Parts: sequence; structure tokens; C-alpha cells
Amino acid sequence: MFKKNITLKILLLLIASDVFETAVHFFFKKSVLTQSGFQVTGLASALVFLKAILYSPFLWAGLFTVVVVFIIWSTILTKIDLSVAVPIASLSYILVPITSIIFLGEKVTVLRWVGILLVLAGVIFVSLSSKERMVHIK
Amino acid sequence: MREGLSIVLFLIALTSLFDTITQLFLKSAIDSLNFTPSFNIVKIFTFIGRLLIKPRLWLGFIFSIISLCIWLLVLSKADLNFAFSADSMHYIFIAVASRLVLKEKFTSMRWLGTGLIVTGIVLISLS
Repeated sequence: MFKKNITLKILLLLIASDVFETAVHFFFKKSVLTQSGFQVTGLASALVFLKAILYSPFLWAGLFTVVVVFIIWSTILTKIDLSVAVPIASLSYILVPITSIIFLGEKVTVLRWVGILLVLAGVIFVSLSSKERMVHIK
Repeated sequence: MREGLSIVLFLIALTSLFDTITQLFLKSAIDSLNFTPSFNIVKIFTFIGRLLIKPRLWLGFIFSIISLCIWLLVLSKADLNFAFSADSMHYIFIAVASRLVLKEKFTSMRWLGTGLIVTGIVLISLS
């Protein structure tokens, strides 16, 4: 059951996927900020809003990064369960607050850091569950 | 203000649900290809090429685009930390869908880990 084991390479791919995923969210948020005065009130204004951000280079940088994430993510999914890959990808909870602080000027409280630590613990358990299963099958 | 919050939460639930559907289509398309694990760039691109021919992948993409549009609307109404925090329900959707649709085997450790992640994210959203 090699397929179920999380190797160092897969872990590195997951981290790479997370870093790019974080970049995607950062780019998308930036593209939305270019229209910060815009009030979305209904479907019609929502479409106008989406059309307006089509002109933002940040949106296109975000979409390009989405393609990169797709390739990495597909490679990861050939090797491990969806219910393992997705929780491990939650490591972006550590990356997103940090980029939000540095680049977007958002605040992160102590309670939020506690939450981040719980997420980290959860990720470790889920990773171990993949190994545990491998041992179990043997 | 409360009303605005519940609309944002509803939109986030919707984007999570659509994203889960995308992941299910993607994972099932990948599993049907029986690709042997490899880190050779040429092999990976061949694999991506074969994956792109799968109709169910494009079904997944449609859900993904809808999910992205909703997500952009969410980001225009909430800050990135909050939007991400409420997105925790995504992990519950994925776990249940993987178990029921993809028949993945869950050990108690995997449930525990998933639970810790969701708890952590809820804590993040309360702060």
C-alpha cells in the first residue's frame, strides 16, 4: 500500500500547493480591492462587479496561479485519499494570516493563533492516519 | 449587519459545497486513470493531458467557476481572515463526501484530526 503513505515528496508538493493557493487568495483579494467602493446589491450589480475586476491584472495573476495549483494538486491526488489531502492542505491557515498581516494589513489575535495551533495538530493527526492505515493493512 | 453576516455565511456554504463537488469529480477522474506515482515532468504533463480529456473533469470545472464567482463576491463583503475561517465547513463536506461517495476508509485518527482542524478554524473565526 505504497499509495497511502505520505512521503516527503508529497508533503513538499502539499506545501508548494499551499503556498500557491495562498498566492491565489492574495491575488483575488487584491483584484477585489481595486473595486473597493463597489456595492454589490443584486445579481445585476454582481455581474457588473465581476466584469469590472476582469480588467484587474491581479485577477489574471490569480487565474494563472490556479492552473499551477491544479497541476500540483492533481499530482498529489494520484497518491493519497481526498480526505487526507484536503485536511493537510489546511496548512494554508498558517500561511494566509501571515500574508494578510504583511501585505493586507489585517490583524491576527491571540485566540486566532490558538486556533491555528489546533489546525496544525489536526493536520498532524490526519497525516498519521494515512500511515496508520498503511501499517494496519500490513 | 446580522442579516449581511448570514448572507455571507450562506454564500460561503454554497462555495464550499460547489468546491466539494469539484474535488469529487477531480478525484474520481484521477482514480479512473490509474496513473503510477512519478515525479517526471514529462509524465506529469502526459497525465494532465489525459486528465483534461475526461468529461467529468469539465463538469467539475463548471462547479469550480461558479464557486469562484461566489467566492469573489464573498471577498468583497468580508475580510480574508473571516472568509477563510467560515470556510471550515468545507472540511466537513469533504470528509463526509469522501466517506460516502469515494468510499475512503476513515480511521478514528482521521476523524479526530479533521475535528481538530474544524475546531481550530471555528476558534479562528470567533477571534
